[in-house]
Amino acid sequence: MLHRRIYQFLIIYAIGLGLLLALKYGLNLSDYVIPSPDEIVRTCRTYGGPYLLAVLNTLAVAVLGHILSICLATVVAVIGRLTAWIGSFIRTAAYNIQAYPIVAVAPIIFILLGDGLQSRLLIAAMICYFPLLLSFIGVFSEPIREIEHFYESTGRMTWRLQVKIRAFENIQKLTTVIVGSATMAMVGTIVAEFIAATAGIGYSIRIALYQSDLAKILVALFLIGVGTSLYLVSLEWAGNALQKRLKSL
Amino acid sequence: MPIEGRHISYRYPNAAGEVFADLNFRMDGPGFHALFGPSGVGKTTLAKMLSGTIRGFEGTIADDGVRRVLYTYNLERLPGWSNVRAHFEEIAPLAGRRRMEELIETFGMEANVGSRFHRLSLGQQNRANLIRYLLQDFDLLIMDESLANVDEFTREKIILKVKILFPDRCFLYISHNVAEVAKFCSQVLVLRSRSRSPQLVAVQGCDHRESAESDPGLLERAMLEIVHAA
Amino acid sequence: MKPSLKIICIACAIFLIACAQKEKLEEVNYRLKWLYNVSAVGDLYAETRGYFTRNGLKVNVKPGGPERDALKELELGHAHFGVASADQVLRAAAKGAPIVVLAQLFQVNPLHWIYRPDQTVFSGGEELKGKRIGVTFGGNDEAILRALLARYGIAESQVTLFSVRYDYTPFYEGRVDFWPLYLNAQAVIIAEKLEKAGETYAFLSPDRLGVRFVANSVVTTREMVEKRPETVKRFLTALLEGWRDALDPRNQDQAIQVLLDADRETPEAVVRKQLPVTRELMLPAARIEFGKIDAVAWKQTEAILRSQNLIPGSVDVESLLFTFK
Repeated sequence: MLHRRIYQFLIIYAIGLGLLLALKYGLNLSDYVIPSPDEIVRTCRTYGGPYLLAVLNTLAVAVLGHILSICLATVVAVIGRLTAWIGSFIRTAAYNIQAYPIVAVAPIIFILLGDGLQSRLLIAAMICYFPLLLSFIGVFSEPIREIEHFYESTGRMTWRLQVKIRAFENIQKLTTVIVGSATMAMVGTIVAEFIAATAGIGYSIRIALYQSDLAKILVALFLIGVGTSLYLVSLEWAGNALQKRLKSL
Repeated sequence: MPIEGRHISYRYPNAAGEVFADLNFRMDGPGFHALFGPSGVGKTTLAKMLSGTIRGFEGTIADDGVRRVLYTYNLERLPGWSNVRAHFEEIAPLAGRRRMEELIETFGMEANVGSRFHRLSLGQQNRANLIRYLLQDFDLLIMDESLANVDEFTREKIILKVKILFPDRCFLYISHNVAEVAKFCSQVLVLRSRSRSPQLVAVQGCDHRESAESDPGLLERAMLEIVHAA
Repeated sequence: MKPSLKIICIACAIFLIACAQKEKLEEVNYRLKWLYNVSAVGDLYAETRGYFTRNGLKVNVKPGGPERDALKELELGHAHFGVASADQVLRAAAKGAPIVVLAQLFQVNPLHWIYRPDQTVFSGGEELKGKRIGVTFGGNDEAILRALLARYGIAESQVTLFSVRYDYTPFYEGRVDFWPLYLNAQAVIIAEKLEKAGETYAFLSPDRLGVRFVANSVVTTREMVEKRPETVKRFLTALLEGWRDALDPRNQDQAIQVLLDADRETPEAVVRKQLPVTRELMLPAARIEFGKIDAVAWKQTEAILRSQNLIPGSVDVESLLFTFK
């Protein structure tokens, strides 16, 4: 059975495509402005395979970048919780860096690191890192007084226990943030590829744009949507399984 | 080990008025004492001063011989990643395992310790929380509404057992139940509003114990005294 | 009548006449291919120096960019005229877009490849074999390069194609032999840098190697030509006149000023070097009329695109190229 997220995406995609075609036939536009269903199917047959590989390539980088961001955000948030000053400094820095549009920073990254995997990974990680970091700092620096009080007053509190308590108590929030940032990781990777990489679906979209080929872009968007939905479904499933397991213990 | 507070004055940062002005009190030695008073007079504040959570107040608290003060309140929770027994075992010294079982039985928690904390009723949660404090090393345990939502019969059973199990420790029981504090507590420190002087009055309670017969007349007198003082 | 009242009346009359004149102007939108730069100097010159107004038009010259497509805007009715590259025009025409070419801005495609003659031996197309060549995959330069390779019988496996973006470091570091650029834009800047570093440089011109791939042209819709021929005629007259004057060396200072007013990012010194190069690409021979549509080059461009499967079928080039009878 199709997961809710996937059929929701399929419905939205179908509506979008339907509107485009309605516009095409309503305004009598050429295939250059909006491709015909025939052309879309033809493009799908020709480019579906390579584009699917490109989406998988992008997805792999996005997942890696996402994992990297989660690990980094956890480490920084755990450090940031030590004192209010460090926490507030990191938060301010994160807000400031987040304010820079990635399209402005990306060229510098590509110049420094080249247009290979590293740059794509770094940009994907950067785009989803800061929202994650801000949420993680919020979670890890906010005491759960009614639980921590006992351990504090009996001298049993360790930093590991504190992190465990705060993570456990906010597991739903953390899961939601992680799932939410997954889309950003995917978007970040595509943007990175669009700007400068030589692989991935973002790069394919760039070439399609050079060629003003909307049919290719529609096929790419479809595959990106399905790929992203599948990733989100997997994350939600993992998050739910984790929460269920913790509750049933 | 008397605990004596002298000329205590305190105002919360950025607060308009003082909570205490020249507050004096004395709690004599081990036993089951109470801190009683209407809401908002500063019972929790005084408890936190005793436990060292609030510092920077004027005056002194002399507590020679009191090494360790613990403060527990009724909203505390146990982490949810394991059941209540596992938590107890984690924080109870091996030598104290017998006492742990004894407390579980007295507190009527045998059937519940296998559950996660969040699955317990409010009364059961408060009992579970109190058990883990009683398994710690302390000289003074401040119990802020720690038996709230526990039925009267179980409460009585718990208090009487605690008196037997911990004869050499000092307890400060914060409650709004006049009859309860009058019956079971040795000294009842009645804390009053800031406008009244003195702000704290000590009343002698009945200090009822398991083996002793209770005297209804004495209890009535103590209750009246507490109500008048408040 | 008092003198002051007289002045007010005259002022009012002038104002009303001016308003009436303004009302008479026919407003059209003209979408450029790229941002304001030297390749649009004639468009800006015609707009700011009143060429359009004198022909009864109020033309909004709008900058293009990577996300803009003048051809799509023409079909959607957002623009009346536009600038597009020949490959865009042919792709659109192959898919049934109702467009026509009014004028060809560049007679020689500005897309060239820069190389270092002291390090890269190159005297003819055959010598591309074994070279490392920069290419923007999906871009015009890819089609041109593939056409060059095909023309000289070089297989893709016999060269190393290097994916190019805005960072020129691989060329500076010598990791790539040929780097694509626009002769009238980046070439000026890169050449200056190389000169400062004491390095020699030269340009590979696809045109000279026999690949005549048309660059930017002025386009409009068939509907415009059929239903508003007068407007098209007036627009084209004004535009070509503006371009001719902008490229006239006697008007160089004014043309540069017009460009500097529109594009505040490029330094004057750079623009001064870019303008003569642009003139050379647009008017390579004194007798060539500005805007001339080179049908032979268009046909070759169409053949290149078809051979590389970049257009689904053949395009009737003749019917695309419009001339007023």
